[in-house]
Amino acid sequence: MIKKIPWWLGGTLMALLLLFIFSILGADRPLGASTYVPYFAGIIFDLDPDKYTYLKEIHNAGSWEGVMLLGVLFGSFLNALFVTKTFRFIIVPAAWRKYKNNSVKSRLIWSFVSGFFLIIGARLAGGCTSGHFLSGMTQTAFSSMIFGAVVMISLVVTGKLFYKDKADV
Amino acid sequence: MYDKDSSMIERIFSMFQTVQNEGHGSVLLVFIIGMVFGSIIQYTKVHKFEKIAGFAMLKDTVVPKMLFLAIGLASIGLYFMIQLGWASYHIKPIILGGLIIGGTIFGASMAIFGKCPGTGPVSVAEGRVDIMVGALGGIFGGLVFTLFYDKLKLLMGPDLGKLTLTGYFEDHQGLAVLIFGLLLVAISIAIPLLEETDEDDIGYQN
Repeated sequence: MIKKIPWWLGGTLMALLLLFIFSILGADRPLGASTYVPYFAGIIFDLDPDKYTYLKEIHNAGSWEGVMLLGVLFGSFLNALFVTKTFRFIIVPAAWRKYKNNSVKSRLIWSFVSGFFLIIGARLAGGCTSGHFLSGMTQTAFSSMIFGAVVMISLVVTGKLFYKDKADV
Repeated sequence: MYDKDSSMIERIFSMFQTVQNEGHGSVLLVFIIGMVFGSIIQYTKVHKFEKIAGFAMLKDTVVPKMLFLAIGLASIGLYFMIQLGWASYHIKPIILGGLIIGGTIFGASMAIFGKCPGTGPVSVAEGRVDIMVGALGGIFGGLVFTLFYDKLKLLMGPDLGKLTLTGYFEDHQGLAVLIFGLLLVAISIAIPLLEETDEDDIGYQN
């Protein structure tokens, strides 16, 4: 069975999926994938949606993305078990070992911290790779182009500063 | 709409109900959209730490190649779909402070985490423990953002409106989108293909 597809096929399929989501036959809305996080945080920490402005604002978008997220988890889990056979418990990724360190503690602490700020950043900007890059730039929105440029610069500068240039052998 | 004493299960049930009543696709359709979205990510491996952190280190270019191609193709398609009345615009406003501060934090976090909010769940479903811990961090991030939203909002302004490139080229919208889209497709092809090996490649190498 197919385990990997090339970037050009993936990009084309992603464009078709985006167009389907935008279309009135599909969801008649853009794709988004970061609003579900505060939405679920509201449910998990049992915050009253009447008391928090933000929960009120994201009620509909958060629900939509929440259902979509369940689809992502379900589909990816099945794929990982039966198709790509990539399911395994791994803590430190191969390239982290190569360009950062071998420490489980270091990877987990950095993961928690970067996961925390990833969501803070996305919600401050009002979108992420899906909402801004994919959906926003497809509509030629200037907001998403500004976001895209800032993210790319910050990503590459951080990559340069945070990791070692030469791999540990 | 909200029940003060609603339990977690009731709130998750209300999530499905909201989607079913909202008119942006049935629960089943939205669920399937998620499955397809996750599968495209998984088969192209763009959720791998090596692909995203690798892009930050400029050692892997599959993520930008695929992103630019998808945006380029979809922007042309979407423009004609909107002209035909098959879709409409959903533009995010230029909230300058939020975009610059948020984008900087987001980019730095993405380089270190090696995931974004759309690709993280795919890795969680594949059993990656570091990403589960990061997701927990994300939930706390969502909590903090919700609690301090009214204060953070002051940081996010000013709102410069929902401007678009097509709006700027009023009389030649179609041409502007065509050039924009083809330019992005050309960039995606022009970026040299670099790939960093990940843990799954090791076993498959011949």
